[in-house]
This record gives sequence, structure tokens and C-alpha cells, in this order.
Amino acid sequence: MEARPAFSIQRSGAKQLGNLGVSGVLSSSLPLVPTPLEETCPKLPGSQQSSANTASLLMSQSSSPALLQSTTSSHYINENSASWCPEPLPGFLDFPTNTTIQNNQIESNSCAGVMASEEFGKRNDWQEWADQLITDDDALTTNWNELLADTSVADMEPKMAYQVPKPSSNIPVQHSQVHPQLPSPSAEIRPVLTPTSSANSAPTKSRMRWTPELHEAFVEAVNNLGGSERATPKGVLKLMKVEGLTIYHVKSHLQKYRTARYRPESSEGSSEKRLTSIDEISSLDLKTGIEITEALQLQMEVQKRLHEQLEIQRNLQLRIEEQGRHLQMMFEKQCKSGIDVVKAASSALENPSTLSSDAIQDAPAKTELETAQVDCGKTPTDTIFASPALEEGSQDLNRKHKVSQTETPENSEPYNTDSSLQPAKRSRADA
Amino acid sequence: MKFGKRLKQQVQETLPDWRDKYLSYKELKKLVRLISSAPPFSYGSVEHGMAGAEFVRLLNSEIDKFNTFFMEQEEDYIIRHEELKQRIQKVIDTLGPSGSQPSEAAYKEEMRKIRKNIVNFHGEMVLLENYSNINYTGLAKILKKYDKRTGGLLRLPFIQKVLEQPFFITDLVSKLVKQCEYMIDTVFPVEEEEIMKERRESIRVAGEGIFRNTIAALMTMQEIRRGSSTHSHFSLPPLILPDFDLIQSSQLNSPIPIV
Repeated sequence: MEARPAFSIQRSGAKQLGNLGVSGVLSSSLPLVPTPLEETCPKLPGSQQSSANTASLLMSQSSSPALLQSTTSSHYINENSASWCPEPLPGFLDFPTNTTIQNNQIESNSCAGVMASEEFGKRNDWQEWADQLITDDDALTTNWNELLADTSVADMEPKMAYQVPKPSSNIPVQHSQVHPQLPSPSAEIRPVLTPTSSANSAPTKSRMRWTPELHEAFVEAVNNLGGSERATPKGVLKLMKVEGLTIYHVKSHLQKYRTARYRPESSEGSSEKRLTSIDEISSLDLKTGIEITEALQLQMEVQKRLHEQLEIQRNLQLRIEEQGRHLQMMFEKQCKSGIDVVKAASSALENPSTLSSDAIQDAPAKTELETAQVDCGKTPTDTIFASPALEEGSQDLNRKHKVSQTETPENSEPYNTDSSLQPAKRSRADA
Repeated sequence: MKFGKRLKQQVQETLPDWRDKYLSYKELKKLVRLISSAPPFSYGSVEHGMAGAEFVRLLNSEIDKFNTFFMEQEEDYIIRHEELKQRIQKVIDTLGPSGSQPSEAAYKEEMRKIRKNIVNFHGEMVLLENYSNINYTGLAKILKKYDKRTGGLLRLPFIQKVLEQPFFITDLVSKLVKQCEYMIDTVFPVEEEEIMKERRESIRVAGEGIFRNTIAALMTMQEIRRGSSTHSHFSLPPLILPDFDLIQSSQLNSPIPIV
């Protein structure tokens, strides 16, 4: 069956895990913890942990929602270390997706885990195949659904009138070889509604985000229907049995597929025609052939470099915003307690005799507010401060006292956060 | 001002189909100017409010544009990637040494083509990542401007939203890119010395297209991250590129015909 190669391609060689040096860079943004899911989705309820463990056992037949856990990948890595390799070229198509996926999962801040279900689907495949080969019994049916819906939506407030509605995903339902049915894949379906459309917009407006698993299932379905020319969107949709997938999605995807399939070189070529990096040169000319190869190598190197830099840049950007958000929270907390301090200070400052001591006292309180302000990139025009003149006057004092105020043993509450602000600030300055 | 120029350059150099998919930075800047010029608490407040709403509206529609385009491309890449794998397998199975119709010449020829395809495919995906990033950068900058000029607090919450947008979450494309790299390394293993030796000579062979755009993207990235007057804790550190001279010399202003 043609489907087989498609699945086999996805197998990974555990030995190749170490080859991805780059992936090390990616995981620097978030600490690698045994439960990365908690890290990325802080708002998730604790029940996921247990259900994820259940899922990791893989033998669960229940269809109760279980949450995705990237830690399960570790199980699969070990189990798949003895991977089979029927291809003539030693597993070149076996891509060590494990590491990348894991790192990507960890690196991604998005709770929706676009990659998540895909990884899980992959691991599920491998486990499935391993079992089939080893035991050759009825394949252990892995049959559970997962709901990532609430997690990602919880973060999004409708403030900006732009919503990415709940993604829903299903774990693949793998059946044994005996079973005539097609496996339905895990699908991270994210119909993205445009802000202009209402909640009840027509399906045509929703955009779906395809994944390799989904595509694989699509290919399988198409093949079972007699190929890309004979298959109809309706038939494919039915066969795929993926929740949330509409006929419009399938239709457009089928169209793309047909184009890519029947003109593999020209589809690569058409984009290349306008963008050829190297013209076609007669292969009889050996020297030019070598030149082409070298040029391709160079091109590849440069592309790799750009990719690397983009990843780094992206991680930095994520981190920066994370810190900004953190500071903002602290700032807001401070404002509440700071208002009282400021008000007390303002009345005190009007008394010149106590100027110096009071200035020192209220400086730290205002400093952290100001620090947070500056760090959050806001201009100090907040109406929080009742007397703008006061603020301006003490700004200079604040700056001078910024360094010294960690040493001043003052009231605990405002300064605890401030001392944590300082290191945060410094660490970023060093970064 | 500098970013706007850089962005314009990028757009000009980018793949033709992509030209109108980038951020309308200039538009947004105009709106910000409009908003800040109409004082908030005077009789011009109506305009102020309207321009503000227009600003947000435009931002949202831009994000929409990015998302749609990005996901469209991503879908294409998924398909192409799979097809590439199939194609390689097929060539090996038929023309390869242990294939059904082994033929070294044909095999080599096909592999040559495939190699070129992979490299260009890889390049295109990386350029999409670049697309995503540069638009994000633009959004971040324009939001910062907005907050600065209007004293608003739009930036922080809005940027949080942007971070969760599909176009910014480039994990899948990144994975496909790495798979391509792996594919190339495995199917076309290369000697290290070869690369070093012929590198300079091969520069002149490169012409327009993906390669050129990649170089341009790298240069732009470096320029954008150079220290600016508004460098703050929110700014990215300057970009340090090893092999910078090599990359710079690869930057060609006109296509060099291959004779």
C-alpha cells in the first residue's frame, strides 16, 4: 500500500538526535523542565498532568480528553532506538524529528501548541508500528481525544477585537492492519476567524492551519480514492474524518496538491524561474557542473545562516516581551501600593527642612515605579501621579538614588520587588 | 525612519509575489502622526478617537494579511516537502544502483535537479521566516511609536497578542527547514575542504532570486539591529555575522549572466 512509505518516512533514528546542534540554541528561551507543558501553559489546570501520564502509557482506550505532554516523547525516543530501515539509502528520510519537536515545543510560548498534536501524532505512529512489528497482534488501538481549546483561548482577551478561536485537535486513531478503516490523524485545526467576520461566519472564511500529519492523512485518503485526479473533495473529507475540517479546506488543499504533484519540477521550477539562483547548464560541461554544486553549497550556507539568526532573533523577541509583561505586572502592583507612598511623600516634600531625608525615602518607591515605567517604554504621563511637578523634580533624585537604594534598608514591601527589578534590569543590559 | 527605509528595501528585493504582503509601515506611521497632531483633549478629540480606531483597525487587518499569507505558504511547503521526499525515494528506487532500472547518468542528472530544488525550497522557507520576523519587528516598532506619541498603553497588550498569531509561530516552517538541511546532508554528503576551496569562485555564479534575497535579508537584519538613538532594553543586540565579508561580497547589485 502506498501509504506505508509515507509512514515509514516519519520514523526517526534515535542515534541522529545528537546531530542537531542548532536545536540547542532554540531551547534556551525556556528552561528545560520535566514538565514543559506547565512552563508554556501556566494557566492550565493541574488535571492535565495525570491525564498526560495516562496518555504516555499509550494503551489507554478511553476517549476522555487527555492533554498533550511533550515529556512523553522521551518514552518514544527510547522505544524507537532500534528502528527498522528497509530503505536502500540508510534512513536518509528518517528525520530526527524528536529533538526538534521537543525543543520547538519548549521554545514555543504559544499554549495552542500547534506542533504539539503533530508531535504526538508522530510518536503515536512509531509506537503503533513498533508494536505491530514486534507483536503482530491486533494493533493496540490508541484512541483518545485531546482538548487544547481552553488553554489558548484563555490568554486572549477580546480587547483588540481580534480573536483566534479555540483550536481543537484529535489524537490519531490508529487501527491495526487488519482493520479496513483509515487512520484519522491528529489535527491541529485552527480556524482563524477574521476580525471583520462575526462569530457565526460561514466556513469559507475560516482558515485552517495544515500540519504534516494532516497532510499525510489527506494523501492516504486520496490514494485510497484512486489518486489525486480521481479523488473528490467530498470523498476525501469523509475518509479523513477529521473534526473541524470542511470541504472548502479539502478542496483548496486538493488543488494545491494536484498542482504540486503533476508538475513536481515545474512547481519547484516555476518559483525558481523567476528566482533562479543558478541557470540550467549542460551537464556535459563538468567544470560548470562543479561550479553549480559549489554555488549551491554556498547558497545553502547562507540560507542556513539566515535561518539560524532568525531563530535567535525570534527567541530574543519573545524573551523581551516576556520580561516586559512581567515588569508591567509588577509595575501595576506597585502602583497600588505606591500611590499611598507618593501621596505621603508629596506632603512631606513640601516641607523643605525634611527634604533630603524624605527624598531618599520616597525616591526608591518612585524609582521602581519609574523604572517599571521606563522599562515598559511608557512616557511618564500617567494620571496616577497627582502632582506632575513633584515627579519631575524627583526624577533626578531618583536616578541618583537608583543604585544606592538597594542598600537602604527601608520598608519591606515596595523594595522587595524593586530589588528583583534591578537584577532583571541588569541582566538584560548584560544580555 | 530608518526601519521604514529598510523595510522598503526588503520589499523591493523580495520575491515578486510577496511584495504586497508586507507591513504597511508608512501607512501606520501616517496614522500615528495624525493621532498625535490632533490633541486628545480638545475639540479635535473626535478626529483623535477616529484616527486611533483606524490605527487599530489597520493593525488588525495587517495581522490578518500576514496570517493568511503565511498559512497559505506554509500549506504549500508541507505539500512540496512531502512531494520532494517521494520524488527522491522514487529516483532511488528506479534509477538508483539497486533500483528497477539502474542508470548512473540518469540518476546523477535527476539528483542534480533534486538538489537544486531542495536548496531553493529551503531558501524560500527561510525567506518566509524572515518575512514573519520583519513584519513582527515592524509591528513592534510602530506600536512603540504609537505609545510614545500618544501616551497610550497599546503596545504591551497588543504585542502579546501578536506573539500568539499564527504568522509569528514559525515552528513548523523551522522544522521543515531543518529537515531539508538534513536531507541535503544525507543525500549529498559534502567534503569540508571542497566547500572552503571553491567558495569564493562560486560567488560569481550566483545571480538573482532566492540567494540574492537571502543575502539581502541578512544585511537588512544587521542594519536594523545596529544601535539606534532609541536603543533601549527592549532592543535587540547588534547582529554579529561571522563570514560577514563573504556575505557582503556575495551581495550583488545586478544579475550576472552565466556564459
